[in-house]
Amino acid sequence: MRARSTSLLLLPGLAFLLVGFLLPAAAMLFAPPGVTFLQVLERMGAMLTDPYDLGIMWRTVRIGLVVTALCVVLGFPIASLLARSQSRWAGVLLALAIFPLLLSNVVRTFGWLVILGSNGVIGQILTGLGVVDDAPQLLYTEVAIVLGLVQLFLPLAIITCYSAVAQVDPGLDEAARGLGASRTRAFWTVLVPLSLPGIVVAATLVFAGSVTAYTTPYLLGGSSQRMLSTQLFSYASVTVDWAAASATAIVMTVLVFLVSGLSSLVGRKGATS
Amino acid sequence: MSQVLSQAGKRSLRLRHPVAGTLAVAGYVVMIVPILFVVATSFTAGSTLRFPPDGFSLRWFAEAAAYTPFVEALVSSLQLAVLATGLALLLGVPVTLAIHRGRIPGKELLEGLFLSPLVVPELVVGLALYQQLMIGLGLNNFSTLLLGHTALLLPYAVRVTGASLALADPALEEAARGLGASPLRAFVTVTLPMLRPGLISAGLLGFVTSFNNVPLSLLLQTRDFRTLPVTMLDYVQQSYDPMVAAASTIVLAATVVVAVVAERTVGFAKIFGGINR
Repeated sequence: MRARSTSLLLLPGLAFLLVGFLLPAAAMLFAPPGVTFLQVLERMGAMLTDPYDLGIMWRTVRIGLVVTALCVVLGFPIASLLARSQSRWAGVLLALAIFPLLLSNVVRTFGWLVILGSNGVIGQILTGLGVVDDAPQLLYTEVAIVLGLVQLFLPLAIITCYSAVAQVDPGLDEAARGLGASRTRAFWTVLVPLSLPGIVVAATLVFAGSVTAYTTPYLLGGSSQRMLSTQLFSYASVTVDWAAASATAIVMTVLVFLVSGLSSLVGRKGATS
Repeated sequence: MSQVLSQAGKRSLRLRHPVAGTLAVAGYVVMIVPILFVVATSFTAGSTLRFPPDGFSLRWFAEAAAYTPFVEALVSSLQLAVLATGLALLLGVPVTLAIHRGRIPGKELLEGLFLSPLVVPELVVGLALYQQLMIGLGLNNFSTLLLGHTALLLPYAVRVTGASLALADPALEEAARGLGASPLRAFVTVTLPMLRPGLISAGLLGFVTSFNNVPLSLLLQTRDFRTLPVTMLDYVQQSYDPMVAAASTIVLAATVVVAVVAERTVGFAKIFGGINR
């Protein structure tokens, strides 16, 4: 293909990417309307010293870390089970794990309102058994957000780990077992280390998704459990504070980039050692 | 479920471990059970969103189907998803061809550029489009949504069709050209059929991604044109009745249909899980 026709193929897509994504994003981050970049930086500096704003950042990171840990701990066993099984049920269970990815996050998150709400299933069970007199506040807590996010991102963790486990030669675990290692030992010394790059990718995707998710903290966290995303929305739409909105957007983007960069560094190091 | 899981593990060597089995069951419970509660409460005859439901009726389905904001938002979301997917493929396929078949420097950089909308948080992209295009340039919200959704789907269009193209032998296209076919004819008769699985995958993936999107679309709503997930989200804030559960159940049923179509055409796990089983 000649260079001229190649550029003709590329041009419409590039122009679109520029107008529909790159230019607006750059303009918003570095030069919001009526605000200088210096003012955005000042605002960010104020946020990084303000206890309320710092609390929101810390909550976001904390929830992201807990959700990531839970998704790996629950997702990896499921992935190894499905990838190694010969059973015909494995296909069904794999489909069941992937299906939620197609389903609206809003629909998936609504279920927790029924379970955790003031008249919710858990509250009814606890009061019904006489464990407590009044149903505890479960909705609009960090626990609710964590549950909602684990539900949302577990499928992603499972399929990423699944691809990693599927690439590990089953002969290797059998060799370890043949050499006298217990199942548990073969799992920890063969399967986990060899799947580690996939686990790192899964953890990165889950973390990046959790710290930027909006639907879950909005529905299950309410205004008492603000995260960066719900805070960003309120700056942009309720108070219309462009400097604060851009500063929050930069913090969120840097957080995601930092973790992605760190993970690809770990991945590369793992590949060479 | 636990029996199914332990049976599934029976012939595998490593995970008949009780701890692993328990974790796996817990994982499935968290993923699936909340969805079942939504479905169960949508058939209630009562007027609150609670479990167990008060009796059985289809009244909330009738109410959801007659509720104008939901119906209008559904039509809007379908329009947007179809247009954005079509546009993303129209722009993305030429890019894929250029990257895989062209002789140009910096291919990896170029591909990275087209994948970049996946890296920046969607809420941040939404804010940028709202502030710069809708407020700054006075673009209407439908055009802005279409621009944003298309940019969001471009990575899928480029990467997924690229995976198909990477498997296709360029010699076939060259043979067609050598036998006298014009570049366009060679593309339509040779390259396009090879791209078919990639086009179907990218199309389904794009449609579902656009239809379900909240973070990017959130700030780009107006009274004239609203998307369904955001309309449902707003509705829950105002009232806590089972109509929204009924609407959710309808969306769930439609999603099952999409999954079946995906399974029949290219393979469900291949498209949405990226898994080649």
